[in-house]
Amino acid sequence: MSMKIGEKAFKERIGEGLEDTVMRGAVSSAQERLYERRLSASEELGNWEKWRELGEEIRQHTLKHLDDYLYQLSESVSARGGHVFFAKTKEEASAYIQHVAQKKAAKKIVKSKSMVTEEIEMNQALEEIGCDVVESDLGEYILQVNDHEPPSHIVAPALHMTKEQIREVFHEKLGYEMSETPEDMTSFVRAILREKFLEADIGVTGCNFAVANTGSICLVTNEGNADLVTAIPKTHIAVMGMERIVPTMEELDVLVGLLCRSAVGQKLTSYISVVGPKGEEVDGPEEFHLVILDNGRSNILGTAFQPVLQCIRCAACINVCPVYRHVGGHSYGSIYPGPIGAVLSPLLGGYDDYQELPFASSLCAACTDACPVKIPLHELLIKHRQVIVEKEGRAPKAEMMAMKMFGMGASTPGMYQFGTKAAPVLMNRMASNGQISKGIGPLKNWTDIRDLPAPSKERFRDWFKKRQKEEQ
Amino acid sequence: MKGTISHRESFLAHIRKQLGKDSSPSASIQRPAWMHQVQWETNGLLSKEELVEQLKKQCQRIHTRVVETTPQEAPSVLRSLMTEYGEGSVMTSGDHRFEQYGFYPMFDSLQHEGFAVTSWNAEASREENIRLAEQAAYSVVFSDYTLAESGTVVLSSHQGQGRALHFLPMMYIVCIEKSTVVPRMIQAVSVLNRSVEEGEQAKGAIHFISGPSNSADIEMNLVVGVHGPVRAVYLLIDDE
Repeated sequence: MSMKIGEKAFKERIGEGLEDTVMRGAVSSAQERLYERRLSASEELGNWEKWRELGEEIRQHTLKHLDDYLYQLSESVSARGGHVFFAKTKEEASAYIQHVAQKKAAKKIVKSKSMVTEEIEMNQALEEIGCDVVESDLGEYILQVNDHEPPSHIVAPALHMTKEQIREVFHEKLGYEMSETPEDMTSFVRAILREKFLEADIGVTGCNFAVANTGSICLVTNEGNADLVTAIPKTHIAVMGMERIVPTMEELDVLVGLLCRSAVGQKLTSYISVVGPKGEEVDGPEEFHLVILDNGRSNILGTAFQPVLQCIRCAACINVCPVYRHVGGHSYGSIYPGPIGAVLSPLLGGYDDYQELPFASSLCAACTDACPVKIPLHELLIKHRQVIVEKEGRAPKAEMMAMKMFGMGASTPGMYQFGTKAAPVLMNRMASNGQISKGIGPLKNWTDIRDLPAPSKERFRDWFKKRQKEEQ
Repeated sequence: MKGTISHRESFLAHIRKQLGKDSSPSASIQRPAWMHQVQWETNGLLSKEELVEQLKKQCQRIHTRVVETTPQEAPSVLRSLMTEYGEGSVMTSGDHRFEQYGFYPMFDSLQHEGFAVTSWNAEASREENIRLAEQAAYSVVFSDYTLAESGTVVLSSHQGQGRALHFLPMMYIVCIEKSTVVPRMIQAVSVLNRSVEEGEQAKGAIHFISGPSNSADIEMNLVVGVHGPVRAVYLLIDDE
């Protein structure tokens, strides 16, 4: 899977999302639960604003000195006997991983959940050279068995599926015969994956944070799958987005705490491991490879969008987003959905594929408030709109037309008065009980899922005048 | 032996250009003094007894049983736990504290009853150690630091403690000396970081483990016991 998921147009994707009532129910209840957990975890901690400011300060400092910290990291990894590969593009990254697999004559690969390996299309690259790649995160495994369905959430990838749907997939693909309880299905997967861990030639992980001065990477899970991936196979390949780095383990404490609380409302998840080359120890994989990926990130540095690189991938912004709630993860057409996806996907994947995303936002700023490292997400969405309209000259057509018409209508008092007076007359033909449920033209997209209140028969200006008179 | 580093120069040169810097990168970059110290202030003034209470309370939330005992009774309490959960083979870490607290006579009698007791052994091959860990019903280890806030045990890999030992057996029993209980992660990592800054080699692996393996990937329902241990018990030894 690449960062881009599917070839369908934006409106078609959104349409599918809106019609999928099962998914919408699952998404909204998950959002609520994750939202409440995050809130109670941050309240319990206390001083949340100070923690956020500290998180922001650490992230900004490391980005400002990213070249120094990456240099230090590569020196530390190398000193411990690990190999470091700096990959400018996703092609370079996956070619290197292919090369390592071929050198090791590896056939069986087990991996833990990693967005960045999706970004570089690593699974396909390894499958091309005859490797069998198994996802070990439960949610990712479900999606993989279901014909490589894309994830719909960066923390809970199979969020959009019900347990009945999952049972059906397991039954059809793996001959599963037990019940649809999460317990039964989980123990079924445990037995399959235990074998995969034990027989794998190579383990592949992402990297939540690299620690510059120790040459280690930190992996955060509840299942413990990343730990088995780094504990058993003879070769460990870790792939990191180049910005995911902290100076020392002291800063790791702050950021991991913010990550766990913001992602799932836990103080720390069940398993957090800081691993690297084994050095002189007896245990640990014989080989450690760290792939540091740019893939468009460096072009964000030094621009107004630099704060997006502070992201620690907690999904708190996704969990509060009213747009995500209604359209679901797949509608974004990218492995990075929600507000962070709407900012990041156009930067990494270009405006050709993602120019609609910055407009699919209500700019309510809930994302900015939720962000544990204080990325001004809604401001960056506005920035994107500016760039798209001013520099690229390609605002979405409907919006351009609407804006033009509003501009014409609002530019002279006469036209404005005519417009607002005419609206009730024209629109109420489509309305019943004061609601418009069958809109036409641009209104249709809205009224297909929502009723629009019909324009008031009384204009605000008239109402206000009348009220002033009444008060006098 | 040092590992290889590929394509670093052009990669970092581009970053420097974007950041508008002309100096070459330096491995001796220093952290600034951070504006807040909340990581130290949070729970920093709690007494040991308060921390132990916080630890016990947090363990209820992470599906982890805490059994309190004394240094003298620790071996027999562990034995009775194994009766309760069902006897099985045991793999321990190679840790001098098993000797110190007198666990070996109990392990010997367990072996007489027909249950294998092994320990992670640097002299055996890695494959052999992993095989034994996979067969063991119980993993028994000692915590180096114990974080009251999150109910976390902190363990580093060493000659007598391989990575897989914590993740393969179904039952995970951690002996916690009260003297190892600290408020938060920062107290543990600052000691570990200081030793790295003083020139010691970094640990191959440091694990922060808070209870048993779990997942909520199916309809947000929590299932305890996914890949790793399905049950975690902390044996809290009053060593102070």
